[in-house]
Amino acid sequence: MRVNVSELRRHCRTVSAALLSALLAAAPAAAQMPSNPYGRGAAGANGVVAAAKPEASQVGIEILKMGGNAVDAAVAVGFALGVLEPNASGIGGGGFMILRLAGMKSAVVIDFRPTAPAAAAADMYRLDEKGRPIGSASTEGGLASAVPGEVKGLLYALENYGSKKLTRAQIIQPAVDWAERGIPVTANLAQIIKDNFGKLRKYENGLAIYARDGFPYEAGDTIVNRDLAATLRRIQKEGADAIYKGEIAGRIVDEVRKRGGIMTLQDLADYRIKVREPIAGSYRGYTLLTPPPPAGGTHVVQLLHIMENFDVAGLGDATAPCAHLWSEAMKLVFADRAKYSADPDFVRVPFRGMSSKAYAKELAGLIAPDKVMPAAAAGDPAKYESGSTTHFSVMDRAGNMVAVTKTINHFFGSGVVVPGTGIIMGDDMDDFELKPGSVNSIEPGKRPLSSMSPTLVLDPQGRAFMALGSPGATRIIPTVAQVISNVIDHGMPIQQAIHAPRLFQRQSGSLLMEGRYPVGAYNGVRALGHEVSLGQDYDPSFGGVHAVLYDHAAKILHGGADPRRDGRAAAY
Amino acid sequence: MKRNLALAVSLGLAAQAAWSAAQALKTPVAQKPALLTSVGQSADVEMVKLLLERAGVPHKVGAQAKASELAASGARTLIVVVGGSTKGLGAAGISAEAELERSRALLAEARRLGMAVIGLHVGGEARRGELSDKFIRAVIPDSDYVIVVASGDKDGLFGKLCGGRIPLEKVERISGAVDPLRKAFQ
Repeated sequence: MRVNVSELRRHCRTVSAALLSALLAAAPAAAQMPSNPYGRGAAGANGVVAAAKPEASQVGIEILKMGGNAVDAAVAVGFALGVLEPNASGIGGGGFMILRLAGMKSAVVIDFRPTAPAAAAADMYRLDEKGRPIGSASTEGGLASAVPGEVKGLLYALENYGSKKLTRAQIIQPAVDWAERGIPVTANLAQIIKDNFGKLRKYENGLAIYARDGFPYEAGDTIVNRDLAATLRRIQKEGADAIYKGEIAGRIVDEVRKRGGIMTLQDLADYRIKVREPIAGSYRGYTLLTPPPPAGGTHVVQLLHIMENFDVAGLGDATAPCAHLWSEAMKLVFADRAKYSADPDFVRVPFRGMSSKAYAKELAGLIAPDKVMPAAAAGDPAKYESGSTTHFSVMDRAGNMVAVTKTINHFFGSGVVVPGTGIIMGDDMDDFELKPGSVNSIEPGKRPLSSMSPTLVLDPQGRAFMALGSPGATRIIPTVAQVISNVIDHGMPIQQAIHAPRLFQRQSGSLLMEGRYPVGAYNGVRALGHEVSLGQDYDPSFGGVHAVLYDHAAKILHGGADPRRDGRAAAY
Repeated sequence: MKRNLALAVSLGLAAQAAWSAAQALKTPVAQKPALLTSVGQSADVEMVKLLLERAGVPHKVGAQAKASELAASGARTLIVVVGGSTKGLGAAGISAEAELERSRALLAEARRLGMAVIGLHVGGEARRGELSDKFIRAVIPDSDYVIVVASGDKDGLFGKLCGGRIPLEKVERISGAVDPLRKAFQ
């Protein structure tokens, strides 16, 4: 099916002074962090790393220079980010890694998502008569924490896909060094600490690390985390057992239970990573490889498969007709996600069907060029995980490629910090549906649904082309798809593709556009009948894409990082 | 040449010192206990709670306190933490316009009851922008004393709103607001 472009354009051409006034009235209203879009990208012939902190990207480059491969670098970056961006991910959380070594036909997905403790139950949180949670037990305190998977996940990747040229101790050492030397407090981190100060204060132990004389660290300060350095040293020596068995495991359980949780030593000892087959799709001849549920990759593929039915390049970048199509396609994707997606080890998830081209064509047929769908069927996935995640991507000149998205869920997770260890426990239990009866309801040992979608893209010749992903809760799925489209449909360099303004649409409700979206497009979609909300110019809620791309013709690896957060790529 | 430069620098510093002195609080303006509220529903109120504890000011917290609750609160000073948060407003289920209306009513009632009003902005540069500035403009001119973390006043907005008429204290770090708060209370 092809949409008539001229027909779409005709419907979107109406521009009026009244709408312009409305635009100005609805201008970005939130506090705007200073965003500097310059100096985020990097390029080199040997290796490239794009992460949420420049220091973390550099850690990956140093590992590559020492002879490590992309997996070695990714694991080192993963541990370093737990120190450098402690608010977003770390030992108390988990995530998804997808990797493809040169010569592999497909890719490997390592699912190290946290799991519900054995004593968890579908009705473990108090709900009001409308089924909404009473209080904050799913987001704060011990009951919010699922059994973490980060250390087992990262070390599994290192042991099975690393180069074996570097030791575990060498890979983790940069993280130890940063914890001891101290991390720079950026304006972004300072604001996040202030925003979460109440939570850190409530659960006490975090203040010893993230506050100075009781008050939040401020931009320009340095945070030293000796407790976390000591924990990382234990992992250097003992491996994953340092966290999942013995003294540190005991401390984790004691603190989580002291704060109202139900986690046991057995839960930690029983934690297993899952190795999964990736979902495979394609977009205009490029192969897409991404994790299946409980990750969000299926829906990145589904969204791009729907968009493939339209002449996105012909409609133009950031135009009203294009924005309309994205918005309508997102409604359909989020409707399916809400109804079907969950941990496939517990429920049957039709992810092959959702990512099939035939189904995407059927869904594309529901999109009218001149009409706005009021809402797609099924319940509204308005929540699920928070935007406080991190993503990084690595590629080396051999074409080894790794994409990792990991999280402790909300910034500073549950607020529970395990004394003497520097470990911030996540609040991933909040990603379950908190009432019984959903495919994503809580069950012992189940993994909560996630939007995390680390994605690999192969070029039409089957070569390593791009690795990318993003934090941003449900916005992850459309954000990753839009960046892929920006590169493939609009021919943008990776950094430009990341800078480009984004839009987001749930299965119902208003279309959210970043503040830099062109006025013509804004007016055009409103004229079509979309209700539009504008975000900030560089809106951190739209994620933080960190991507790497291989230009085979020039034999150059490019890294792009997101100015919406603190990202910067490094290369050599 | 060097002497002229030194003279100019000295005069500039003297003028700045004189301006600061004119802006500084000369006598206490507030009485204990206090009611702490937010205008803009940012998380900054959490830091001001700690500031008040450190300053030894007994207080109650009512982030969304209404004018009608003020008399019954027993407070003799209203402390207003200004700074907008779309997330905070959303969580409270309040629009920016409704928040401004609540703020106007609250300040008017505080005046009627003869309460002192202290305005605080502790969020720095990140807690500025269109949303926050609306709340700042609504609260600061109606305050008896204003304390600001300096990075939030790079454009001099607070100085302009205080206009030499309202004592204004700028502190470099949030923790620096403890002393000014202590001195503000009798």
